[in-house]
Amino acid sequence: MTNITRRHFGIMAGASLSALGLPVLSAPSLAQGKPRVVVIGGGPGGATAARYIAMESKGAIDVTLIEPQKTFTTCFFSNLYVGGFRDYKSLTHNYDKVKKGGVKVVHSLATSIDRDKKQVVLAGGVKVPYDRLLVAPGIDLKFDSVPGYSEKAAEVMPHAWKPGAQTQLLVKKLNALKDGDQIVMIAPPNPYRCPPGPYERVSMFAHVLKKKGHTKSRIVILDPKPAFSKQGVFTEGWEKHYPGMIEWQDPKIHGGIKGVDAKTGEVKTDFTNYKPALVNVIPAQHAGKIARDAGLTNQTGYCPIDAASMKSTVDPNIFVVGDASIAGEMPKSAFSANSQAKVAAMVIRAELTQSRAFPARYSNTCWSLIAPDDDIKVGASYEPVDGAIKASNAFVSQRNESADLRKQNYKESVDWYNGITADIFG
Amino acid sequence: MRRAMPARISAALLLAMGGGAALCLLAPSAQGADAELGRYLSSECTTCHGASKSDSTIPIIHGLGEVHFVEVIKAYRDKALPNPVMQNIAARLGDEEIAALAAYFATAKKPK
Ligand SMILES: Cc1cc2nc3c(=O)[nH]c(=O)nc-3n(C[C@H](O)[C@H](O)[C@H](O)COP(=O)(O)OP(=O)(O)OC[C@H]3O[C@@H](n4cnc5c(N)ncnc54)[C@H](O)[C@@H]3O)c2cc1C
Repeated sequence: MTNITRRHFGIMAGASLSALGLPVLSAPSLAQGKPRVVVIGGGPGGATAARYIAMESKGAIDVTLIEPQKTFTTCFFSNLYVGGFRDYKSLTHNYDKVKKGGVKVVHSLATSIDRDKKQVVLAGGVKVPYDRLLVAPGIDLKFDSVPGYSEKAAEVMPHAWKPGAQTQLLVKKLNALKDGDQIVMIAPPNPYRCPPGPYERVSMFAHVLKKKGHTKSRIVILDPKPAFSKQGVFTEGWEKHYPGMIEWQDPKIHGGIKGVDAKTGEVKTDFTNYKPALVNVIPAQHAGKIARDAGLTNQTGYCPIDAASMKSTVDPNIFVVGDASIAGEMPKSAFSANSQAKVAAMVIRAELTQSRAFPARYSNTCWSLIAPDDDIKVGASYEPVDGAIKASNAFVSQRNESADLRKQNYKESVDWYNGITADIFG
Repeated sequence: MRRAMPARISAALLLAMGGGAALCLLAPSAQGADAELGRYLSSECTTCHGASKSDSTIPIIHGLGEVHFVEVIKAYRDKALPNPVMQNIAARLGDEEIAALAAYFATAKKPK
């Protein structure tokens, strides 16, 4: 049974983390003052964790958040910006309320982690000591996973899989298309940030073309995967709203993605040479550099964690949440990152201030917009089972749902965005 | 014991959460509810409910009467109310956890 029973609690009330199966650490050297938590990365994972630790410890823990950017533009809902449903500004958030919540925000890049000395080194050489470190740098793109693709090539063939200028470039190119132009998207292999994201984006491409009155434009998705998230309902939606416009090719159809040429604008597969007006390349991904450099990743390129705490299995003083972690069956999403951050924050507080520890509870829902007022969703609850994070009660939108329900989903997604961004950034 | 929501309590009414204030008068005392547990579990709710306004599809739950809260969550758990996101959240909540959450939200203020 997964319910937290009162008996369970009796055991845990003794502040015994070992009852949770967590390694118990000796109390940090508190003699010098408050315990110190440092957080690397001010996205959904890092900012949530920093805020919750500061808020819930009521000043008993010193929390420093390291994030180079002064504002954070969300990748989530960036597809709605592509589709013209949101403006760019509405996706951008600042750290004012994070600071007001008692977090010291240092706008700098963490360049390395000295795990022996338990300190983070910032660009410029400043060293920030920690008792516990939470690492949430998100993903880096493996540009060379698509032959011919590079950071430079992304200036003409945007990935727009990290927020900011790339997303704006993609929108500019999309809006400049003429009827009859072709778009090719190269979709990423698993595991990657936001499983339904590429297909929601294609829906938004199609919506923009349809709205402009295009009848001859076509979108080709070259996928290295044999199947994708919410495939049945996406495909149904594409046939309904954009008949004949979108063609999805799995490896059996395209025979293999041979590469791109940014100079000529070409995309080659085993069977075909394309010369599209817009190429969107979403390459393979791995954990952010700082996590890889610190030796927190394994052969998968992501960071293994303890399922009950989000603690790195490599270093007991470090936690990893969000896209950089290997969170079992949880998808890489802002919702997941936010949920994992709360578990890590609870465990870190328990370790540093002997506050009560509770069993880990995770959840996720991802909404995707196919067309105006036609929104689908997928979600599940997650818990540690035999050392890995496992899904239960999974649900996904079904074919032939009523227009009312899909419209309700859309409204719900907008309310979710307001809720989660307030939870992350205050 | 899981109890089905009486059919006469309409889903629309519950979703609007309008009945909270009236039902609150009948609420049992929060004695026995585990406040710390309620606070921890509430962070899952805050993800979506923390910024709700009166006209949101995701209703305001801060300040909701306890009896009403318990009834609605149990109705989701029993799938007597339709939204799969909420059915999913409610599915793994035990009665004590629901009571702890209800006690927490009855007095909690929405984050500013
Ligand atoms: C098109 C698209 C649509 C999406 N839609 C959804 C959606 O609808 N719902 C959903 O839940 N998710 C969605 N996502 C996924 C979501 O954006 C990510 O899963 C989420 O941002 C991950 O959060 P994170 O905190 O792990 O990493 P990030 O958001 O990447 O944040 C990491 C932060 O760390 C900082 N950082 C990195 N390295 C360092 C360093 N060395 N020092 C200091 N700081 C550093 C970065 O500047 C960044 O601010 C979408 C993603 C895309 C691309």
